[in-house]
Amino acid sequence: MDQLTTTQLMTIILPLAVVQLVLMITAIVVCARAEQTRGPKWMWILIILFFSLVGSILFFLVGRKQS
Amino acid sequence: MTMGIRQWFVLYRKEQLELVRSYKLLWVPLVFILYGAMQPVMSYFLPDILAHAGNLPPGAVISIPKPTASEVMAQTLGQFNTIGLLILSLSVMGIISAERSSGLTSMILVKPISYLSFVAAKWAAMALLVIIAFAGGFGAALYYTTALFDSVDWLNSLYAYLLFSLWLCLAGSLTIFFSSWLRSGAAAAACSLGVAALLALTASAFPHALAFSPGMLPQLAYSQYGAAASEGHLAASVATTIVLILALQFAASTLLRRRPSIDAL
Repeated sequence: MDQLTTTQLMTIILPLAVVQLVLMITAIVVCARAEQTRGPKWMWILIILFFSLVGSILFFLVGRKQS
Repeated sequence: MTMGIRQWFVLYRKEQLELVRSYKLLWVPLVFILYGAMQPVMSYFLPDILAHAGNLPPGAVISIPKPTASEVMAQTLGQFNTIGLLILSLSVMGIISAERSSGLTSMILVKPISYLSFVAAKWAAMALLVIIAFAGGFGAALYYTTALFDSVDWLNSLYAYLLFSLWLCLAGSLTIFFSSWLRSGAAAAACSLGVAALLALTASAFPHALAFSPGMLPQLAYSQYGAAASEGHLAASVATTIVLILALQFAASTLLRRRPSIDAL
């Protein structure tokens, strides 16, 4: 196992962090703009913020009401 | 016939719009990209993670054989066979049953529209989602495997991508079929995952008798990366899968014709 420099580590981790951030921000925006969510809106925002990946997936799967 | 095609295209445009409006076309590919990248990155950092986990006597040396690039790709496909299938089924499950409970289906189907083009339009939207999302996930896996481990054979990767996409499409078709049969979307997702698991299990348990089963597809995809050579006949499995996908669409449209709407009981 060769030692990685910080730069190399960043090039590995950074794109994934960006993708996850985009997913999270999308979920928060959709949640904030939704007319109705299944359950209180502030709860969903907290879930998305605290469990970013799983929380966003959960919100998209069960949090949105069919308009 | 041309009339039917035009009708299908109009319905398909509606479904495509629905994919965009429900943000599925955005979040499912993003999630697939993350899961595709996760396996190679985790495999790469595993020795570090174990070393930092502590509770080792000083001087202990951990030597984990570094997996080959092909092994990592095969493992990633295995991940998609669980998490990927689950996310796909759950995001597709409402595609018919939600519309039926809201009465939208009966409104659409009052117009002179063939049930088959209605189902086929939904199927095409699902296939589009699968192809785009899995291209993202597979691409991310390929990128990280090549960057962190070694390059893999391009042609084999293409075959693996196509075979596995077909397998995911079959799972989606099962979800659409159960979605047009059962009242609840969750039940449709559960049934389709169960049937997919059953297909894969029986195929791996009786590889000789079921050499042309659709359940062979994931194994055929793994074997592109030199995993245990599977007994399956590639062409035969692909053919039976396509036939099964078509049969499921016919069955779904027949079921809808009998019960277009669910009366709220």
